[in-house]
Amino acid sequence: MKRHFREWSVAGALGVMLIALAIFAPRFYEGQPMLSRLTDTAPTLVIACGMALVIISRQIDISVGSQFAICGACGGMLLAHGWPAAAVIPVSIALGALFGAFNGALIAGLGLPSIVVTLATMVTWREALRWRTQGELINIGPAQWFGLSQKVGQWTIIGTALVILAAIAWAMKRLAAGRFVYAVGADAEAARLAGIRPRLVTFLTFVFLGALTGLAAMMFSVQSLQVDPNAGNGLELRVIAAVVVGGVSISGGRGNLWGVLAGLLLLACISPALTYLGVEAYWEKAIQGAIILLAVVADGLRNRKAQR
Amino acid sequence: MSASTHQSGGAKAVFRSHEFILFVVLVAEWIFFYFAGTSKNYSGATVGFGTLDAQFDIMRHSCEIGLLALVMTPVILTGGIDLSVGSVLGFSAIVFGKLWRDGHLPIDIAMLGALATGALAGGLNASLITWLRLPPLIVTLGTYSLFRGLAEAVAHDGDTFTNFPASFINLGNERWLGVPEQLPILAVVAIAVWLLVHRTTFGRSFRAIGFAPEGARYAGLPVERRLALAYVLAGTVAALAGIIYTARLGQAKADDGTGYELFAITAVVLGGTSIFGGTGSVHGTLLGVAAVAVLTDGLSLAHWPREAGGVLTGLLLILTLTASVLPKMLSNRRSHRQTGPSTPQPSPPSP
Repeated sequence: MKRHFREWSVAGALGVMLIALAIFAPRFYEGQPMLSRLTDTAPTLVIACGMALVIISRQIDISVGSQFAICGACGGMLLAHGWPAAAVIPVSIALGALFGAFNGALIAGLGLPSIVVTLATMVTWREALRWRTQGELINIGPAQWFGLSQKVGQWTIIGTALVILAAIAWAMKRLAAGRFVYAVGADAEAARLAGIRPRLVTFLTFVFLGALTGLAAMMFSVQSLQVDPNAGNGLELRVIAAVVVGGVSISGGRGNLWGVLAGLLLLACISPALTYLGVEAYWEKAIQGAIILLAVVADGLRNRKAQR
Repeated sequence: MSASTHQSGGAKAVFRSHEFILFVVLVAEWIFFYFAGTSKNYSGATVGFGTLDAQFDIMRHSCEIGLLALVMTPVILTGGIDLSVGSVLGFSAIVFGKLWRDGHLPIDIAMLGALATGALAGGLNASLITWLRLPPLIVTLGTYSLFRGLAEAVAHDGDTFTNFPASFINLGNERWLGVPEQLPILAVVAIAVWLLVHRTTFGRSFRAIGFAPEGARYAGLPVERRLALAYVLAGTVAALAGIIYTARLGQAKADDGTGYELFAITAVVLGGTSIFGGTGSVHGTLLGVAAVAVLTDGLSLAHWPREAGGVLTGLLLILTLTASVLPKMLSNRRSHRQTGPSTPQPSPPSP
C-alpha cells in the first residue's frame, strides 16, 4: 500500500468521482453511452501504455497524435480500396513502428533531445498529411467495426486494449526487458555499466510506442463510417496527461501501468462529469491542464520531502 | 549533460561560422524566392516576393514569432524550454479583448492588463520551476494546456472579439516613418534582449546555469531569481506578441498563436543556440527567425500550398539539429578508435 501510495491516491480520486457521479448523475451509468465512452477511451489507453514506457525510460514523444492521424488515414484508404481488416491492421502497425524508428534513430542514435525531435516530427507529419488529403474525409463504409455488429465491435476494441494493458503491465514487472526500461530511466550510465545497452532500449521503446499508435489508429478508425485525417489533434497531451497523472515520473524510472489506467479513466470522466454536473464544457481543457499541474506539483513536493 | 564539450576555443570559431552559414542560407533563400516568387501582372507591374510591400508583409508576419523567439533564447540558454508561449499569447489576446469590450476599459489600460496577465502566466511557470525544482518541460506542457483552456473558457468557446478602433488596428497594418508600425517594437525588444544576454551579468548567469546548474549555484549565483527572470520575461513578451497579433488580424480568438512555440523554438535552434543550454546568441536567433519567415512566406508567394511551409520548417529543424551533433559524434568515434574504449558513449539525454 505504502509503496504504491501514488497509484492508490489516483485510484481513490477516481473512486470518489465515480461515487459522486452515482449520487448526482446516475444517468452516467446507463449501458450504451457507457460502452461508447469506454470504446472511445480504448485507443488512448493503448497509446498511453506505449507512452508510459517511453516516459519511464526518461524520454517523451509528442508526435503520437500526428502518427495516429497518418496511420488512420492510410489504413482508411486501404480499407476504402477493399483490403480486408486483417491485412490493413499489420500495415498500420508497421507504419507506426516506422515513424517510431525515425524518432528513435534521431534520439537514441544521435543523442538529440526527444522533446525537440518529436516537436519537429509532430508538425512535419501533420502538415504533410494535410497537404496530401486537404482535410477530406475517407469513406470506409462496410469496414466499420471490422464488419462486425456494433456491440461485438465495441467489446472487441475494449477487450484488445485491456489485454494489451495487462500484457505490458506483466512484462514490465516480470520480464528482463521490462526491468531494462526502468533501469535506463533511473540511471542510464549505471544501466550501461550493468551490461544493458541504453540506446538500444530507448530506440526500441520508441518503435514499440509507434507500433501501438498504429494499432490504436485502426481501433479508432473503424468506429465511424468515415476517417477524419484531422483526428488525433491534441491526442499527445491527453496521453501524456494520463501517464503523468497516473504516477509515472517525468524524470524517469518510476511508475506502473495500472496507475496509468486509473489516471486515464479519471481524466476521461471529467468531460461527462462536467456535462452531468451542469458545468459548461469549455472549461474542460483548463481543468485538464490544472490536473496535470496538480499531479506534477504533488510529485515535486514528495521529492522535496524525500531529499530532506 | 553533453554541454561540457562545447566550450573549447575551436568550438567558438565553429559557432561564429554557424551564424555566417545561416546568413548565407538566408541570402540564398531570398535570391531564390526573388526569382521564383516574383512575377508581372496583366498591366506589367511587379507583384509577389520582389516588391517592398511583400518584404514588409514578411516582417509583419514574423513579428510575433520574432518576439517569442527573442525571449525563448534566454530560456533555452539556461537549459530550459517554454512550451506555453503560444498559449500565453492566445490567453493574453483574449484577456485584452475581454477587458476592452466587456470591461469597457480604454485600450491602453486593456493592453496593460494583457501584459500583466502574461507576466503572471510567466510567474506561474517560474514559481513551479524554481520553488519545486520541477522540469521546465513538464511544467510548461501543463501550463500550455491550462492557458489555452483558460482562453477557451473566457472566450466561451468560439466567441471572437472584433471592432477594435482604427488607431489600434493601425499598429498591425499601417506604416510609421516608412516601416511597418510593429517593427520599432520588435527592434526595441531585440536590442533590450541582446543587451541583457550579451552585455550584462544576467546573460553570463543564463549561460552558466545552462552549462552546470549546480556549479552556478555553488559559484554563488542566484539561480532561482535568474531563472524566474527568464520565464517572466517570456510570459510578458508573449502577451505583447498577443496584442500585436490582435492588431494585425483585427480580432482576438481563443486559438490565436496555436503552434507558435514550435516556430519560436525552431528559430532559436536554427540560430545556433544549443538546445542543451549554455551557448547561443540573440543575433543568431534573429537570423533564424528571418530564415523561417522568408521560407514560409516565400513558398506561399511562389504559390505553394500553405502546408509546405510547416513541413519544410520541421525538416529544417531536424536537419539543423543533426548537423549540430554529427561533427562531434564523428570526432568522438575517431578518438574512440584511436584511444580504445576509454571515452564512454554518450547516453541519450533526458527530455
